Amino acid sequence: MTHPLFLVSCLNFQQISKEGDTFPVEVDVARMSELVKGMLEEDEDEDDTTEIPLPNVKAQVLKKVIEFCKHHKSEPMTDIEKPLKSANMAEVVQKWYADFVNVEQVLLFELILAANYMDIKPLLDLTCATVASMIKGKTPEEIRKTFNIANDFSPEEEAQVREENKWCEEP
Amino acid sequence: MSNTTNGNIIQLEEGWNNVIKKGAIDVLEKTLDDGFDTSFEPKEYIRIYTTCYDMCTQRSPYNWSRDLYQRHGETIEQYLRNTVLPALRDKTGQGGTILLNELKHRWFNHQIMNKWLKKFFTYLDRYYVKHHSLPTLEQAGLQRFKDEIYENVKDTATTAIISLIDEEREGEIIDKTLIKSVVELYESMGMGNLDSYTADLETPFLEATRTYYAKKREDWIAKDSTPDYLIKVEKALNEEKLRVSEYLNPASEPKLRRVVEDEILLKVQQNLLEKEGSGCRVLLANDKAEDLQRMFSLFSRLEDGLQPMADIVQSFITYMGNACIDKRQSRLDSGEKDKNDDPEFIKSLIDLHEKYLGVIREIFASHHLFQKALKNSFEEIINNDVGQFTNAELMSTFCDRVLKSGGEKLNETEVDQSLERIVKLFSFLTDKDLFAEIYRNQLAKRLLNQRSASDDAEKSMISKLKCQCGTQFTSKMEGMLNDLVIGNDTKVEFDKHVAKQPSTNLSFSPQILTTGFWPTYKSPDVNIPENMTKCLEMFKEWHDKTHTKRKLTWVHSLGNATVRATFGKKSYDLQVTTLQAVALNVFNDGATHGLAELEKSLNLDLETLKPLMHSLSCGKHKVIIKSPASNKINSTDTFTANAKFTCNMRKIRIPMASIEASHSKARVDEDRSYAIEAVIVRIMKARKTMKHQQLISEVLSQLAFFKPQPRVIKKRIEALIDREYLERSAEDQQQYNYLA
Repeated sequence: MTHPLFLVSCLNFQQISKEGDTFPVEVDVARMSELVKGMLEEDEDEDDTTEIPLPNVKAQVLKKVIEFCKHHKSEPMTDIEKPLKSANMAEVVQKWYADFVNVEQVLLFELILAANYMDIKPLLDLTCATVASMIKGKTPEEIRKTFNIANDFSPEEEAQVREENKWCEEP
Repeated sequence: MSNTTNGNIIQLEEGWNNVIKKGAIDVLEKTLDDGFDTSFEPKEYIRIYTTCYDMCTQRSPYNWSRDLYQRHGETIEQYLRNTVLPALRDKTGQGGTILLNELKHRWFNHQIMNKWLKKFFTYLDRYYVKHHSLPTLEQAGLQRFKDEIYENVKDTATTAIISLIDEEREGEIIDKTLIKSVVELYESMGMGNLDSYTADLETPFLEATRTYYAKKREDWIAKDSTPDYLIKVEKALNEEKLRVSEYLNPASEPKLRRVVEDEILLKVQQNLLEKEGSGCRVLLANDKAEDLQRMFSLFSRLEDGLQPMADIVQSFITYMGNACIDKRQSRLDSGEKDKNDDPEFIKSLIDLHEKYLGVIREIFASHHLFQKALKNSFEEIINNDVGQFTNAELMSTFCDRVLKSGGEKLNETEVDQSLERIVKLFSFLTDKDLFAEIYRNQLAKRLLNQRSASDDAEKSMISKLKCQCGTQFTSKMEGMLNDLVIGNDTKVEFDKHVAKQPSTNLSFSPQILTTGFWPTYKSPDVNIPENMTKCLEMFKEWHDKTHTKRKLTWVHSLGNATVRATFGKKSYDLQVTTLQAVALNVFNDGATHGLAELEKSLNLDLETLKPLMHSLSCGKHKVIIKSPASNKINSTDTFTANAKFTCNMRKIRIPMASIEASHSKARVDEDRSYAIEAVIVRIMKARKTMKHQQLISEVLSQLAFFKPQPRVIKKRIEALIDREYLERSAEDQQQYNYLA
């Protein structure tokens, strides 16, 4: 398991050769991704280096993903309790992971997509929990504000939805 | 979720046709058809995966999950229907192996196809399948194979497999790996259980096996001897076991074994056991250890399969035992003297028992049924008495031979072994109390006459009996040995006492026997010469001082004496019994005495006196002359000391016939009466009231050392009623009440 593996970030297949950013990764680390793992099962004994193109994942995001996978090897993330016990991620997972997801919203969402695409369960759990922590304990209005969502309900509709979901606002 | 790649929406047909169909499915089908190894470059694989991923993550109405899931199944279905099934149809009818090979090949291909399609469409498994509780891609692929292919070819395939197995059974070499691969298909078709394998392959296979071996059974049983037949059975069972381990599912093992055992063992069990010239009895008679062992291990596979065999073993051992008894009987018939000593007979029984004990241990693995068979047969043999003496007596006498000095002349180990073996025989004896009574008499004789060869051997025998029957059984015998030990101490003390007394000219050593431990001896009240009486009195006085509560009785019939006798110039030491010594004393005067006179002066009845005088005047050493000379004592005979007696030896033992019968039947009966009554009272005390039959059987079950006739028990019950321990119930004549 010592031969290096290259994960290549690119936007589409035509771009691979041109401007893919190539990240050498140890096989063990790359195996965190079920997608990569599934491919490696096929050519076990191939000793020359394998390039795995990853369209859909930007270089900046892939870098973060690899960082996550590497760290996970040395300090595996604890399972996230559901429902979330706190809106503060530092109380939910180890400090490193809480710091890791302390990023801009855009990057956070891209990490979710990458984790889903590459099938990396702990990363998907962490990022989704982070989004959930941003919702926890907030009013709809605050949530809209947080995620910059326009309220497209008419006043009547909103009243009806509130009525139907009254139970969840009660203490 | 949205496609963030480039914002381009992939249309269903576009993604399917341009990427999935062209890049994946067509390539896959082609490599399978061409027989090449299937593999996809990472780049290619990622392209297909990403397309599927994108098509499944696009927002409605462009989310194609449902369509892709459906097309995944259809792709497989169509390939199976259009390519695989026709190929299999082509090979049908060209022989089992060809079809099976094709099926194996196609099944192998399907697994490859299923695996790759699952990889490409794997995103469906992650969410779509879960959310809609659908079969996973893999399960769906398997199900298609089952519906399209398996259901169509399974019957033909099963037939082909069975006929290959039948060929193998006949010694042909077949392609086992081929069968194994196809068996794996049957196993997979259960979708996680073995139902398909069981119903589609195993059941018809077991049926065919039954038919196959039914035919074999008929062939073999007609022409083979039992040992030969069993060798074939053993081989067949091993082969079938190997068969399962080589290419069938392990779950079939017990079922297959059962079918084969049923057909070639169970159905001819009686036939095999009793086959003329080679059945179980014949094997036993000829000590065919290996054949018997095989028979045992094969029949032990059947439920209750060993009982008929054990029955035969039992009847055979009984037969062999009866042969020993018949031999004794015919020796007696041909005029041999019936003595209580028949070592040949007892040895033959010991040998018989040892032999079959070994057979049962080594050949029949000490199986309990066979141990029971041995026990039953020996209980029958040992309790079958012929001639004048019971086997209990013959056995006890055999012990006597072993234990007394100058008897069998065995070394220590042999003695112990003989005793061990005789005790084994003893355990089968019903009349254990009778044995004990006789044994005790003989033990007493050995001990009192110093004929016992070894104290240790005596103790060892008693402890063996104790092991077998409990403390109560041997307490008297132990008491006897103990008396002798105490006797030695007493002797030392008494000698010290005697040394302080005025000399009596006689050396004298008494032995105290506790009444009850020892057999009861007839003790004639003989007139003892004065000098001897002094000794007795001296001891009595000394003894009464230490043991005031004890009553001392002299049993002169058991005493021994050494008498210095002078005939002419020579003097001899005569070793005689006390009674002989007393009689000899009379002849010191040199006069002639008539029998009647002796009877009076010695105070002995004729019954005792006659053998006494016989021993002195008619034996080898005639120290007394009888007139007229004859070998029989008559009331008119007269006796004189033999002044001319000479002998080369200085020490002479003059033996005398034992006065007493070695045991008394009456005494055994009396002891039994007490034992029975004790048991009845114990039972009735606990139960208070009981029916006659119940009481009888309870009594029988509690008596360990003998088995009385019911009428004997009934007599004891009546005796107890007379003595008002029990009463007949007023309401029911068949019921007894206990009277406190």
